[in-house]
Amino acid sequence: MANADVIGGPAPREALLARTLVELAETLVADFDVVELLTRLADRCVEVLGVGAAGLMLAGPDGQLKVMASSSEAMRVLELFELQAKEGPCLDCYHSGKPVMQADLATPTTRWPRFAAETLAAGFRSVQALPMRLRGTVIGALNLFHAEAGEMPPADIESAQALADVATIAILAHRASLEAQVVNQQLQHALNSRIVIEQAKGMVAERAGLNMELAFTALRTYARDHNLRLVDVARSVIDGALAPSAFGSVPRGGPAQEKDA
Amino acid sequence: MTEGGGRRERILDLLVGRGEVGFGTKRLCQVCAEATAVSGAGIMLMSGDAPYGSLCTANEMSDLIEQLQYALGEGPCVDAYRQDYPVLEPDLAQPSTLRWLAFAPPAIAAGVRAVFGFPLQVGSVRLGALNLCRDRPGPLSDDQHADALVMASIAAQAVLVLQTGAGPEGLASELEAGADFHYVVHQASGMVAAQLEVSVGQALVRLRAYAFGNDRHLTEVANDVVARELRFDAASGERDLVP
Repeated sequence: MANADVIGGPAPREALLARTLVELAETLVADFDVVELLTRLADRCVEVLGVGAAGLMLAGPDGQLKVMASSSEAMRVLELFELQAKEGPCLDCYHSGKPVMQADLATPTTRWPRFAAETLAAGFRSVQALPMRLRGTVIGALNLFHAEAGEMPPADIESAQALADVATIAILAHRASLEAQVVNQQLQHALNSRIVIEQAKGMVAERAGLNMELAFTALRTYARDHNLRLVDVARSVIDGALAPSAFGSVPRGGPAQEKDA
Repeated sequence: MTEGGGRRERILDLLVGRGEVGFGTKRLCQVCAEATAVSGAGIMLMSGDAPYGSLCTANEMSDLIEQLQYALGEGPCVDAYRQDYPVLEPDLAQPSTLRWLAFAPPAIAAGVRAVFGFPLQVGSVRLGALNLCRDRPGPLSDDQHADALVMASIAAQAVLVLQTGAGPEGLASELEAGADFHYVVHQASGMVAAQLEVSVGQALVRLRAYAFGNDRHLTEVANDVVARELRFDAASGERDLVP
């Protein structure tokens, strides 16, 4: 997967980075699948930055980091991400909101003993975790693994952070859109119920010779007496399943109380 | 980018009065008309393909624009909502594309010369549309257009924020109090359905047809039905002779 030879000179690589950023930004305007977006981002990190493996971890509602995407499906790589729910650069990065780097995992370290051992066993020597954050909110981290030891060049870190930033904006926009969808559905539902009730008021008012207020009282009383929801009673009236005679007396007519129905 | 941010802040400043925390829905249209310097502004709420309510209107002219679209189911808001894109008609009397055959004549008769519709949306969620109208023909300036887009975005957020406060079953009290959902039309539909022994959907079609045929607003006709001044059965001669 690691294709370091691709980095021939600055020009093609910058073009690739620019194209990736545009590609990611385009997802902002349409509905998109978050996992697909993040998988694409992980793949592009490998291509653009020439890293050995890249992955993205997002915090769930419980605050636990979960692997959302990886450039490699190899078990040994996936396990490196999973491990970081408990310890590792991603967890530290998520908590601090700052980049976390380890230039050589082979040097004795006390920070993440288990993570370091497993990463070395998987064939990687250095690691970076970059925060996925927008203003005050940290939602996860971008994780990069290299086969070689050494510091990551500042320009590469900047590029990686730019990719992480665009993904963060896309994810937050997507979340806002999902929340908006839920609220909008509630609004529509509430209005539809209300409209059905108004229509039923009209029918009862006409059939029973009541004004709107009394028609509403009649509907509500019926719903209470029969332990039904007002909107369900209203729907039955409109469907014709419930006869208007069920709604108390017609003022002009004779007694039509049927409380014990 | 900074220019767009400044625009949003400027409009929010207009919306939220000094020493106040929030703004009422009524102010949205007022400020919208002021900020964009047009004759009128209105915000319609829509669902499916049809308008179901009015969040606010700035004045009589924009009220008429909304009434017409509510009754006829066509116009700039309806198109902006359906197409998910601004709809601009700088000259209603000499339109570039032939559209709104029912909407245009009464709007022109009331002195409207240009209409513009902007969808109210948050992400992929569409809530309705903002309309701007003017008593003389001509396009919106770039500035007015940009202001309208920001206003539509603020209005969409405002509706969602208000409704977030309500429970999953209910309608936010601010919307209930501030917006006009034309309840009287639905009450009248129920009454006419009972008079004609038809479905409420068919009854609404009859009400619309009557309003259109008699050159009246749908809500006026509905008010007459609810006040028992207009019947659709044999008593008024409105009866449909075809069974």
